Amino acid sequence: MTRSDTPIIEGIDLTRSFAMPAGAVVALGDVSIRVDPMDYVAITGPSGCGKSTLLHILGCVDQPTTGSLVFEGRDVRTLNESERSRIRLTRIGFVFQRFFLLPMLTAWENIELPQAEAGVTKADRRGRTRELLEYVGLAARSDHRPSQLSGGEMQRVAIARALANRPALLLADEPTGELDEDTGTQIAALFDRVHADGTAIVVVTHNPAVAARAGRHLTMKSGRVVTA
Amino acid sequence: MTAWGLAWRTIARSPARSVLAVAGVTVIGALLFDMLLLSRGLLVSFRELLDAAGFDIRVVAAEGSMVHRPPMADAASLAEAIARLPDVRRITLVRSDTAIAITAARSGGGTRVSLLGTSDLTSGSVWTLVSGSLLPSATAPGEVPVLVSLRLAAALQLQPGSSLPLRLFLPGSASALPLVSAHVAGIAQFSFEAADEYTVATTMEGFAAAHGKPADGVAEMVLVSTDSTQPGSEASAAAAIARLRPDLRVLSNDQVMEQFNQNAFSYFRQISTVLSSMTLAFAFLLIATLLTMSVNQRLGEVAALRALGFPRRRIAANLLWESVLLVGVGGLAALPVGALLAVILDRILREMPGVPGRLHFFVFEPRAILLHVALLSVTGVLASLYPIWLATRLPIAATLRREILS
Amino acid sequence: MSGLNRGRACAFAVAFLIAAALPVATPASTGLPPILISRQLAEREHLNAGDIVTLALDAEGTGSRRFRVDGTYEPTPDPLRFTAKRLEVRVHLPELVTMTEVRDDPASADALTAINVKLKNPQTADAFSAAVASRAPGTFVRPTARARDGSDPFAVLERFHVAVAAVTVLGSTAFLLALMVMRAEERRETIGIIRLIGISERSILLEVLAEGLLIATAGAVFGIVLAVATQGTVNQFFQWRYDTALVFVRVTRSIALQSIAVSVPLGILAGLVGSWTLLRRDVLALLGR
Repeated sequence: MTRSDTPIIEGIDLTRSFAMPAGAVVALGDVSIRVDPMDYVAITGPSGCGKSTLLHILGCVDQPTTGSLVFEGRDVRTLNESERSRIRLTRIGFVFQRFFLLPMLTAWENIELPQAEAGVTKADRRGRTRELLEYVGLAARSDHRPSQLSGGEMQRVAIARALANRPALLLADEPTGELDEDTGTQIAALFDRVHADGTAIVVVTHNPAVAARAGRHLTMKSGRVVTA
Repeated sequence: MTAWGLAWRTIARSPARSVLAVAGVTVIGALLFDMLLLSRGLLVSFRELLDAAGFDIRVVAAEGSMVHRPPMADAASLAEAIARLPDVRRITLVRSDTAIAITAARSGGGTRVSLLGTSDLTSGSVWTLVSGSLLPSATAPGEVPVLVSLRLAAALQLQPGSSLPLRLFLPGSASALPLVSAHVAGIAQFSFEAADEYTVATTMEGFAAAHGKPADGVAEMVLVSTDSTQPGSEASAAAAIARLRPDLRVLSNDQVMEQFNQNAFSYFRQISTVLSSMTLAFAFLLIATLLTMSVNQRLGEVAALRALGFPRRRIAANLLWESVLLVGVGGLAALPVGALLAVILDRILREMPGVPGRLHFFVFEPRAILLHVALLSVTGVLASLYPIWLATRLPIAATLRREILS
Repeated sequence: MSGLNRGRACAFAVAFLIAAALPVATPASTGLPPILISRQLAEREHLNAGDIVTLALDAEGTGSRRFRVDGTYEPTPDPLRFTAKRLEVRVHLPELVTMTEVRDDPASADALTAINVKLKNPQTADAFSAAVASRAPGTFVRPTARARDGSDPFAVLERFHVAVAAVTVLGSTAFLLALMVMRAEERRETIGIIRLIGISERSILLEVLAEGLLIATAGAVFGIVLAVATQGTVNQFFQWRYDTALVFVRVTRSIALQSIAVSVPLGILAGLVGSWTLLRRDVLALLGR
């Protein structure tokens, strides 16, 4: 596969350190990463190696201490919080280990929420939400609240929510961390579909089944990429 | 979903907590509403009483006041002079004293009554006739026709035609005035009678006769009614009276109000201000605490929404709407609850001695509702500021990490 | 006080003001009788000890006499007259009698407005009053101790404030319950785990009770400390507003104990109610399963 000329996101020499009473902790040290359209990247490594930190930086949720980060040609460091929020809303989809669905909303409403925030019309929202629920196989559970869904079902709703505004990039932080093996495999299969349908994916995972499906692998240790 | 829609869902998610919070706001809001009613209640009520009496100007001795009224020796001729002024429609002379009513219905030393002497014999101003007849315009020498208040009539089992022995009571001096046998012409409701007093009204001649002397033209106060159809007649009449008799105090209803406001009513205004402030501070603290705890319980959700791209202003708007809904619903419910509470508190305060039975401490004014809404709204907004700051400033990545680890 | 005497007293006070408007700024004369003036009067008329003033019964100067201001005093605060401006003068009784006596009425030299009596045994005040009243008909005799009946305006105010306090307690109880329910919800999973590993409901309730007692007591004590700190501000405000030394708010031991007696049980009860909302659910529900 030839690489695109314009990556979705490119980070060069990214470092992230945290000030602690006992001294600064370097969570990420000189990490460079490039994600092109149609990439499927799995980031693995032991706990505390900086995987999630890297993911948060790529998702514009956190800022690197040093290094550059360019998202679709825009230097993220020059953007204000409002602009970064906009990128997260419309260009990036986030899937969390603990799902973080809003418990007082139904599956339908959870998926619809980011679309409403992005200014999508009601008719379009309705169509997109229905489409996504069918995509993740939960059309019959659209009126159910998260407390009425299983872990795997909640994660599927979370994935649908992440795809609501048709992002260019899907970031997943341990998406199968709270799920059993079989459910994890189902989620992994769903990621395959998402990738096949044109969304770039970066997934942080301990699950070999998920990691195996990725086209690229990054292994991290002590805040650095050891194999790419 | 709109910000208020999400706020509503958040509140409805914990019905018990939300109902309790709204109940708290309702009760505190009711108290605030009542304090706002109290702040001007006495003023409004007293003004209504004054206006209902039908007099615009009150003339008393220069060294006196509305409460302490030294006698004016030449009051009769003063009244005649005032009556000739162009804007004046009606004059009434008033004097008062304390007496003891001695009847078989009450054992012990008798019943202390306020004896009111007046030249106004008509019903509808200072009193309203309930039964019997009005005071006669002419009485035989030594005769003391009286109107007694409803309360006194009930207490002493009096009715029109009853005899009422009175002894004048002069505290501080030895009194050997003979018992006076007044006869009850009628029973009336007196506008200014306090809950702890009994009023007996008689003519000026009857008043003098009760003191064992002929009518002497003395009065404590001259009440003047002006032509209400002419704008400015009250002011011009007051000015004319002041020019006529610069040695006397001429008080319009506004000035009477000002005097009572400064002396008697100001305490309740101050109390209402202090209690309103404390109530608002209390409401602010409680709502802020509630919202802050609510945010702290939902940090993961908030961080996730921020990570999904929801801007800070949207998070802030959600929280602001939560506060508005809690305070708004509670504040609205506070109005009927406050009205009921006001009736109870008014009943308590009206037991105070010397307070006219028709005077109220809590009087409804539309401005009280507006002020209530405005104050609670500001409080709700201010109370949400810290939780909003908390939610919009949280470090997204660190919060997500912490939530996952916990 | 009869109307006539009231009038004379008012005239006296007013006349003093008029006469004192032009104080004689000459060195104090030891020959003049001394008077004390109230602080409020001294401030208003800019008078100091040593100033010579003229007192008269009316604006025309009837009965005027010169006096030397020997000092100022703080009038004893009168709760029934706290809105009145205490513009007062204390004169030796013989001087006052000389000023106010009516030449044609020998009895006027012997007239008094009131006599204050201090009894050897204050418990006999009621009986003493009755005895004096029966011996001197027409006099008004009453004990100075507060009559605790409906005629007492302070009893009415007390009922009013108790009612307001009761409403405040009601409102704060609702909020407290809301906070305790929230707090219990925060610990839902923890309680579920504790129950799961076999800790009994009784043990959990005892822990909640102990915690509630501690927090409620600390809260009550803090509230009292806050009230004591705030009472100074409230008193200062009202004392400034009415120019009086009257104390309007005082947190007494009795009030503090009453506050603790109400707030501690309420706090414990609120904690128990909050915990009940959790303990009534089964373990799996607590753990979200």
